Amino acid sequence: MTRPVDVDEPDVPGALHVETTTEAFINDAHLATLAKLIAGVAHELNTPLGAIHSNHDVIERALHKLRDILEDEVVTPDELRDVRRIVRAMDGVLKTNGIAVGRMVSLVESLGTFGRPDRAEVDLVDLHEGIDGTLAVLGHELKQITVERQYGDLPLVECHPNRLNQVFMNLIHNAVQAMDPGGRLTVSTRPDGDLVVIRIADTGKGIAPADIRRIFQPGFTTKERRVGMGLGLAISKQIIDHHGGTISAESTLGAGTTFTVRLPVKLPSSVGQ
Amino acid sequence: MSQSQTTTVMIVDDEEMVVGSIQSFLELDTEHAVLPFTSPFAALERLEAESVNVIVADFMMPEMDGVTFLTSARERRPEASRILLTGYADKQNAIRAINEAGLYQYLEKPWDNDALELVIRNAVERSVLFADLDARVAELERANAELSGFRERLIQAFR
Repeated sequence: MTRPVDVDEPDVPGALHVETTTEAFINDAHLATLAKLIAGVAHELNTPLGAIHSNHDVIERALHKLRDILEDEVVTPDELRDVRRIVRAMDGVLKTNGIAVGRMVSLVESLGTFGRPDRAEVDLVDLHEGIDGTLAVLGHELKQITVERQYGDLPLVECHPNRLNQVFMNLIHNAVQAMDPGGRLTVSTRPDGDLVVIRIADTGKGIAPADIRRIFQPGFTTKERRVGMGLGLAISKQIIDHHGGTISAESTLGAGTTFTVRLPVKLPSSVGQ
Repeated sequence: MSQSQTTTVMIVDDEEMVVGSIQSFLELDTEHAVLPFTSPFAALERLEAESVNVIVADFMMPEMDGVTFLTSARERRPEASRILLTGYADKQNAIRAINEAGLYQYLEKPWDNDALELVIRNAVERSVLFADLDARVAELERANAELSGFRERLIQAFR
């Protein structure tokens, strides 16, 4: 992997190399987002699958018991008590399987709006669908966080939906990572003339004033460095710039950070369809 | 341990599907009475009123994490064996809980029913042994107090 370039570093080699490295960091950022998405989906599936896996085993055991009872074609009072117990257990299995299957169906529906490969590159979309899909996929990270949605009445926005979802994923994931259990994530949206405004606010540890100017620079991170780390905000800025929008951050140490994204409702004509 | 004695297993997980699945399994395949809870606070309240043999708790719950819950449960019912149910990513927390909550065992999700049954059976036995031990210690303390009383009376009689 090519090391991400920090534009402040004095030893950046020639321009051609920088271009290659930029492509590499975009790829790294895509991979990092994909990794978050996959980890989220795996985690979200784990609970309902665990329940269904257990219930499958319970059904097998119940059938085995029923066959034993029916084998001699005479049902004793003790066996009748066992049949009642099996019926009670099956009622429980049916109920929990229903909940588990419902959870998986809604996860798949969220994924459907999240990153459909068949979706047109540029589309008119309801941004709330992408935000809700991101929140659903990151559900396991939000268990001990209060999530507040303050959605305004947004028009459909002309955009690259899959790329914008990548921005939501980065911003929400970062917000959650910054908070301890009990924190609050507020996602608010509102129309503003020809723009829409999306704010993602956390009550996390905040960003030091010295750092906040650098957060959109590729390679900058305050977290332990791993593949793709420090690229999420840089790639988010690039995606928002590409849409003719702006992204900014305000932060107070110890109180939290708010990211504000402003997007035009229509893509600028310079942006390739 | 006496088989006629009813043993109770408390299950605490904010996910109803997890609590329900474990409950169905235990009610079908074991003789344990099951106390299902989706709220750790409600479970702690119940522990004020009633003792149980085993507590199985999830780690990641919105109201209270599993280690904090089991630590509070330990204060109320030290004789109950405590089991933490964790996702793979929560393993480090399970290790932390071994000391903090006096954990008996931890199980990873998705769980295997045979393994769960075995762990619960051993945990019940441990809790019953502890209860027996407590009862015997109390009996010995009573006998010791009685002997001290006799001794006092003997000393008084021969004085």
